[in-house]
Amino acid sequence: TQVAAVFREAQRTTASHRKLAVTLRKIQDACCYEPTSTKKPAAGSEFDEDDFNSEFVRCALRVMPIKKSEGVGDKTIRFIGLFLRHAIDKDNEAMGEIDEDASTMPETPATRLTSHLIETVLPLLTAKDKFVRYRSTQLISHIINSLDAIDDDLFQKLRSGLLKRIRDKEAMVRAQAVLGLGRLAGNQIEAEPNSDDSDDDASSGLLERLLEVLQNDPSADVRRSLLVNLPILPNTLPFLLERARDQDAATRRAVYSRLLPALGDFRHLSLSMREKLLRWGLRDRDENVRKAAGRLFRERWIEDCAGTPPPAESGQPAEVSPPNLDALLELLERIDVVNSGGENGVALEAMRGFWEGRPDYREAMVFDDHFFETLSAESVFVVRTFNDFCRNEADGKYESLVEEKLPEVTKVAFYLERYIKVLIDAIKRAEEQEVEEDEEEDTAEQEFIVEQLLHIALTLDYSDEVGRRKMFALLRQTLSIPELPEEATKLTVAVLRDICAPDAAGEKEFCSIVLEAVADVHDTIVDDLPGENDDESFHSAKSEVSNDSTPTKSGKSKTPELSEEEAAAKAVKEIVINMKCLHIVQCMLCNVSGDLQQNDHLVAMLNNLVVPAVRSHEAPVRERGLVCLGLCSLLDRSLAEENLMLFMHFFSKGHTELQITALHILTDILNVHGAQLLSSNPALLKVYVKALRSGAKHPEVQAAATVAVSKLLLGRVVSDHDVSAELLKTLVIAYFEPASAGNQSVRQALNYFLPVFCYSRAENQDLMRCVALDALHTLYNVREGFDDDDADIDDEMVSLATIGACLVDWTDPRKCYSPAAGGGASGSGSGGLGDPAAAAAAERKHVNADVHLDFAQDILDRLGGNAPKEEKKILAALLGKLYVSPASTEPKTRAVYASVCAAVDTQLLADAAGRNALY
Amino acid sequence: PIESTRQRKEKQPFEIDFAAPLDQAVAELIYTQASSNSVISLPKKDWKSKSRNLLPDDKHFSSKQLLSLFLKPKARMGRRRVLGGGRMGNMDAHR
Repeated sequence: TQVAAVFREAQRTTASHRKLAVTLRKIQDACCYEPTSTKKPAAGSEFDEDDFNSEFVRCALRVMPIKKSEGVGDKTIRFIGLFLRHAIDKDNEAMGEIDEDASTMPETPATRLTSHLIETVLPLLTAKDKFVRYRSTQLISHIINSLDAIDDDLFQKLRSGLLKRIRDKEAMVRAQAVLGLGRLAGNQIEAEPNSDDSDDDASSGLLERLLEVLQNDPSADVRRSLLVNLPILPNTLPFLLERARDQDAATRRAVYSRLLPALGDFRHLSLSMREKLLRWGLRDRDENVRKAAGRLFRERWIEDCAGTPPPAESGQPAEVSPPNLDALLELLERIDVVNSGGENGVALEAMRGFWEGRPDYREAMVFDDHFFETLSAESVFVVRTFNDFCRNEADGKYESLVEEKLPEVTKVAFYLERYIKVLIDAIKRAEEQEVEEDEEEDTAEQEFIVEQLLHIALTLDYSDEVGRRKMFALLRQTLSIPELPEEATKLTVAVLRDICAPDAAGEKEFCSIVLEAVADVHDTIVDDLPGENDDESFHSAKSEVSNDSTPTKSGKSKTPELSEEEAAAKAVKEIVINMKCLHIVQCMLCNVSGDLQQNDHLVAMLNNLVVPAVRSHEAPVRERGLVCLGLCSLLDRSLAEENLMLFMHFFSKGHTELQITALHILTDILNVHGAQLLSSNPALLKVYVKALRSGAKHPEVQAAATVAVSKLLLGRVVSDHDVSAELLKTLVIAYFEPASAGNQSVRQALNYFLPVFCYSRAENQDLMRCVALDALHTLYNVREGFDDDDADIDDEMVSLATIGACLVDWTDPRKCYSPAAGGGASGSGSGGLGDPAAAAAAERKHVNADVHLDFAQDILDRLGGNAPKEEKKILAALLGKLYVSPASTEPKTRAVYASVCAAVDTQLLADAAGRNALY
Repeated sequence: PIESTRQRKEKQPFEIDFAAPLDQAVAELIYTQASSNSVISLPKKDWKSKSRNLLPDDKHFSSKQLLSLFLKPKARMGRRRVLGGGRMGNMDAHR
């Protein structure tokens, strides 16, 4: 009656729920609390409590069969929760003081109604109809979340009823079940201190079950709803944070936008966890996750550091604190910027986002003398990232801002000089005496400071002559210091190249300056050991030394005066210095692009330093020499040709790392000097094929080879058809075969490369078509080989039908970029990349589909051959997926048609689907 | 009192008629229990996920890796023929 009318209103809008609850409460009052204040129902027309309750429950049941998509169901259920809450509160008010006794719940009309409702709905949890299960689970979970306390008996029933539903077939039911259970789990934890042991077990059992669901439920909705509803506790936190790597992007985002902000002060997390969360979030494959992580860093975490203790009480977001350098410095310290601020460190991304999203901080920064005189790892990182941001982002919009805030070049050079000195002193001190831990840490910080200043130096404008000279002299001098660490060396060389003019003359000047410094460094061997004769393999990079007498280091030929110890120390020192010289040279060569023969300095360096190093008996020296020789080979074709065999030798004989280096060198050489080198050296192809198949023993080598071959194919460095085909086939097999399942480098590189390669050129697609069936056949055999003894094959290898579908898709002419279409309809950017819009547009234009016709012909040929029956079945199914278009070449279309007809006539195909689908 | 009142209310597509009596079909729908627990439950093999539904480690593969040399990451391939004035060094990367 009236009750039904209230429900009718309630389903329409949630806005009137409060009012309706009051109305309904009045009806309930009228039924339950008679004027006489006895519970006895008054005789006559009025209804009693039982009537009210059954009417209420009757209405509630009406919601049960409502589909999930209907909003009325949700609204009604919310209303039920709200009303029960309201009614219980009113009852308690009426009861007054009795409340104090917490152990037993007072029985009131509202609790009796609740029990009645729940008892009625509980059996529906196992109804056959999925919507009934969904609504009943939703209702029960909602009631649990609306109420403060529940009768103990009822609690046990709810718990076991809902626990069964976390294994429901329907994800929507499971999602509702975990909502309720999450609350129950949270409640129990709170109650734990006063409860006995058996209860403990029960509750932790529940929590464990839920954590298991959090990890294993196939539905992302279920996992996400648990993520935001489970209590945050020391023992649940690791499981919750783990979801930062969930397969589902929305769940990952929820970690950053909901869980972590709700967590309170991020400083309670461990250092490594903070770094991981930042790295995962800021580098997520999904943009929305990245955004959420960026916001977390620049809005929440900085706020935690900004000092003002957050008003934890109110749910209101605290007012944004004003820019505070100390807070920023602390934030950077808390993410261990010395380690996370390196060149691949996540702190760089974090700060880029920070400057972007915090204009208030951008404006507030002051980089005055005092700032630069008291640099720490954190403060130097602030200025370095600020500088990067202003110069690189937003099309130079902020360039003037950084010009205004940063000191001029001369001053930067002056500060750089000062901190380099501090660094070198620290290193020397550390070498002389036993190092203590915090001193080592201090050296690392000083090194970091110098690196950051050099990064700034890389971006400065050297048109100011005074500043330029000052910086040039400083860096030239710095480079001669043997103790200068490697990263700083690399940066110093890069800045020097920047200061020299960009033309050929500038490059020569640059080389001569660097090589002078190399000579200085090398001379320290001689300086330190006055007894040593001058028969060194070389003592100055510029000296002319004939290689014939002693091509290798003479460190082992001792002069009689030297004790064995001294000789050993000297040999070590010599290796160290040689390594240092080679490193400088390597850094230099990375910045050189001119012709080697045109540059006397480089020729001398090659003969006097690099060649002897490659012949050295000391493995580290030899290997670094190899890299330098490789770099030189990039500058000179004949040098590359001469040494090709050498590099191949290092590949076949070297350890894993050396093999990778050799692959890198060979690939770079081919990229720079063209494919003739490959075609004239058949053994070289074998190197690549062997490397691609080395996955089982050396996954890293396979990964390097995958990228290398991808480059060669995509850059069309390999021109020979058969060679390309062989390589591409090997890649396709490597992509699908189970052996590479654990090699994510290989899989992800190919996941990127294969579609890009196919869709970028019609020729590439045709090449794929050529190798497709051979590859499929190989993979068929691979799978056959597994079938019986390995049940996990499905985890490691997709089905052959899926592989076939991939191959068809990669060869789909509609997805291929075609320059003929004028970049209009069919091609989008560099190759469509499966953009459905582009494909759809192309379809309307009727693309020439010869490639798929050829594919069809290939398949028909195979079907006529003696392939295994199972394989033929898979092949036949592919026919239906091929695209046929009137824009194709006519004779080809006819030929394929004839083949199909022939196939039908000879009943080649058992299943009609294939042949029918073709036309 | 429950069954007695019948007021037809205008049928709107998404409204529940709370006043109407429970018709037979709906009642059946609500009260029919599943024939067995397994019919309405997730098959056991789906209880555990080997990967724990986590992503593998991201290798952040990008076109950059295909377009640059291994030894000189700052130099871009394909620009090698532009010698003379242009150089492949850091100028490009930083300006």
